[in-house]
Amino acid sequence: MKRILIALMTCVTLLSMGGCGYNTIQQQDEQVTAAWSDVVNQYKRRADLIPNLVNVVKGYAAHEEEVLTKVTEARTKATSLTADASVLANDEAFKRFQEAQSALSGSLSRLLAIAENYPQLKADGNFRDLQAQIEGTENRITVARTRYIEAVRAYNITIRSFPSNLTAKMFGYAVKPNFTVENEKAIAEAPKVTFD
Amino acid sequence: MKYRHLFITLLMSVVAPLHMAVAQFVPIPPLTEPVIDQAGVLSSTARGDIEREVRALKEEKGSEVAVLIVPSTKPEEIEQFSIRVVERWKLGRKGIDDGVLLLVAVQDRRVRIEVGRGLEGDVPDVKAFRIIDEVILPQFKAGNISGGIRAGVEAIVGLIRGVDLPPPAATDDSAADLYFPLAVFGYVAGALLGSLFGILIGAGIAGVGTFLIGYTLFSLAAAIGLGVLVLVLVLLLRGTHGGVGDRGYRGGTSYGGRTSSGGFGGSFGGGSFGSGGSFSGGGSSGRW
Repeated sequence: MKRILIALMTCVTLLSMGGCGYNTIQQQDEQVTAAWSDVVNQYKRRADLIPNLVNVVKGYAAHEEEVLTKVTEARTKATSLTADASVLANDEAFKRFQEAQSALSGSLSRLLAIAENYPQLKADGNFRDLQAQIEGTENRITVARTRYIEAVRAYNITIRSFPSNLTAKMFGYAVKPNFTVENEKAIAEAPKVTFD
Repeated sequence: MKYRHLFITLLMSVVAPLHMAVAQFVPIPPLTEPVIDQAGVLSSTARGDIEREVRALKEEKGSEVAVLIVPSTKPEEIEQFSIRVVERWKLGRKGIDDGVLLLVAVQDRRVRIEVGRGLEGDVPDVKAFRIIDEVILPQFKAGNISGGIRAGVEAIVGLIRGVDLPPPAATDDSAADLYFPLAVFGYVAGALLGSLFGILIGAGIAGVGTFLIGYTLFSLAAAIGLGVLVLVLVLLLRGTHGGVGDRGYRGGTSYGGRTSSGGFGGSFGGGSFGSGGSFSGGGSSGRW
């Protein structure tokens, strides 16, 4: 009798751990962190391309100093912010990170827009390569952000719904910040480079 | 339980409209063959050549290059449609992520090369861009869509041929490597529990436990198979102790054969495409 009881208890404990959503929360939390680090990596990749781009543009359009300085400043600001997973626990930091990146997107797209006025620049092989890399990176950023948005959506639904919300509360899992619609608009307006 | 139903109803009311929005997008065809031409622009010789080329590459290197030609990707941009396609098709081997998609939207006059994660170093955006700009677009601009696609595939395949990749024999189903350790673990745990609580209870707990662990790691079918396998093996301990190892091994083998058939996508001569590769948006796009 006692044996059966122990066996039953083991089964019940195992099942209830699954039933209260602990494993799901764990898994989805992990996915959010992974998706976030992908977002950060892609932004970093973009930031790494900018100094070269600025140099190449300078060679042909040195008097566009204002635009060039703005890009450099926006880059410095964006890269100076912490971007590790701790940002996800801090709405303020998350907002700052977003704003800095979208400011950089804006100044970068202005820089690429003025490049259109310089045929020699547009014909430069280095510039074309950099443009292709930046275009590719912008697309990666979009993909990484979309995956982050999906991961956070799934996670937030889990920790807000019954009964897993009780588990989440017990183990201290909080709602994670997501990219806002406003910002999704900003992505849609990210520099679109074409080669007509 | 009541709450759960309520929650699902609520969730559906939120998700259903999203679903309808998705339904307006261009549907993604199933990956039945590596060259899918929905716009009818490929000549039959070009199509045959491309198929032979990508199948030979798959056999030689394991990498998967596929071509999709659609009339249009509207209302989506080609990049959005492209990432949806590769997320569905999962071109390339799992963990190696060596798939490439060449996507052409004929009416939109847009072309994209989508590069799998594992090839981003060897087919960087710049190289993808150059293939589009220097190989594909000149032919497209001259009105030769078929020739441009064929030349583009040749260039992509040529690039991948020069890449150092794990040989094709390295199979894609890395999760299956864990079947055997899990079965052994379940068996040992079952034997221990069996000696404590009696063989029936031990076998039951080990079987259910193996199923639960298996279910978090693998598919439902694999979990059931492993659970039953462990259950039976532990029960066999009841009578004799001899010969169990042999039986276990045989059980494991036949089991592995059964599950490995559940791959993604369609199959055709030379192995099936869509082996679980992942993408992160690398590649390049162009227009003509």
